[in-house]
Amino acid sequence: MNRDSVFYTIIFTFIVTFAFVLPLTLAEQGTSEMVAKNTENARRKAVLTAMDIPFTGDAEAASLFQGVTAREKDGEVLYTYDKGGKTVAAKEFFGMGLWGTINGILAVNGDVTSTVGLQIIGHNETPGLGGRIDDASFKNQFRGEALKDGKLKIRSGAEAGGGPVDPGDGVVDGITGATRTTQAMEVIVNREIGDIKKLLGASR
Amino acid sequence: MNSKQAKQILVDNLWFNNPIFIQILGICSTLAVTNLLSNTVIMTLGVTFATAFSSWTVSLLKNLIPRRVRMIVQVLIMSFYVIILDILLKAYLPEISKSLGPYVGLIITNCILMGRAEGFAQGNPPAAAFWDGLTSGLGYMWVLLTVAFFREFLGFGTLMGYPVAPKGFVPWTIMVMAPSAFFMVGTLLWISKNIMAAREKAKGGKA
Repeated sequence: MNRDSVFYTIIFTFIVTFAFVLPLTLAEQGTSEMVAKNTENARRKAVLTAMDIPFTGDAEAASLFQGVTAREKDGEVLYTYDKGGKTVAAKEFFGMGLWGTINGILAVNGDVTSTVGLQIIGHNETPGLGGRIDDASFKNQFRGEALKDGKLKIRSGAEAGGGPVDPGDGVVDGITGATRTTQAMEVIVNREIGDIKKLLGASR
Repeated sequence: MNSKQAKQILVDNLWFNNPIFIQILGICSTLAVTNLLSNTVIMTLGVTFATAFSSWTVSLLKNLIPRRVRMIVQVLIMSFYVIILDILLKAYLPEISKSLGPYVGLIITNCILMGRAEGFAQGNPPAAAFWDGLTSGLGYMWVLLTVAFFREFLGFGTLMGYPVAPKGFVPWTIMVMAPSAFFMVGTLLWISKNIMAAREKAKGGKA
């Protein structure tokens, strides 16, 4: 058959597309349950880590997560945990980064005067630049950072890059070379603090 | 493919016809991922795997592919390997999948895959095409690792995330930014061309 005839081209394209896409679909379907389980696991672990609850392995994380109370209001889930008499509250956030959605967990203390932890679940920021919001050096700054007037400032632009700063002043260091992502994180974190405050107030 | 050909392909792809500093292909990912060694390792392994298998498949199907839809079929084959790898990693190795996340799209659009499929696999038997894809990936790998080594060391004072710089070392912020990869690749190109020219001269040819 003439390899360049229109008929052959259409038939060939159809068959070859089918042959390559079918295994992909089967693989996607076959692993969807596992992927959903992995995603749920990752989210649980992110909540626990953000709340500063230590665990080792998936099994312990799952059992510790039983102790976390989840309350839903207007489609928003607020996680609370009683940590030796002190309440820790956390919430999952979805915010706009430079390239796409930044998804993660922010945890604050019961009276919303300081952050307890930040975890990033997913993002599409530039690897090595904005992507460094997922680095320990950035996230660790949110461990017990006091808020100033209920807000948190993240140093960006020329101010960024001084390394970790005093945990009492409501300022954390941003990422050098990723001004837009840093600014996006500041907006997301502050909006999140406000949302958690509202949800906590409503539940009392 | 005999051993002499295999050696020729290896030497060409690693040095005389290197995808980065001779063919100047795959530059986008060279700029994007080389500020950290760990990212570079993941990216280059992905590209090597995808180039080898897509070249092999293109070569297997080369007598069946209609000329006018040739490139579309090549991209389909490349996407197949990259996406299947992504699906399997997501299910079985979620941690690695998370770090590979942003690179999947970059692998499919990497010009080296298309360049090797179009320039070599279309006209050579499957085994040679596989070897060519694999060695092209390795040629890409060593150049990117060299660039990443200097960028991470000078930009962050770390290697694979471990601090190695002496105390009081001031990181070069420019090395973290994409433009520094241009300086690095340019320098490598200059050095390699000089070495090649010197060898030519030594052989008695015109440099």
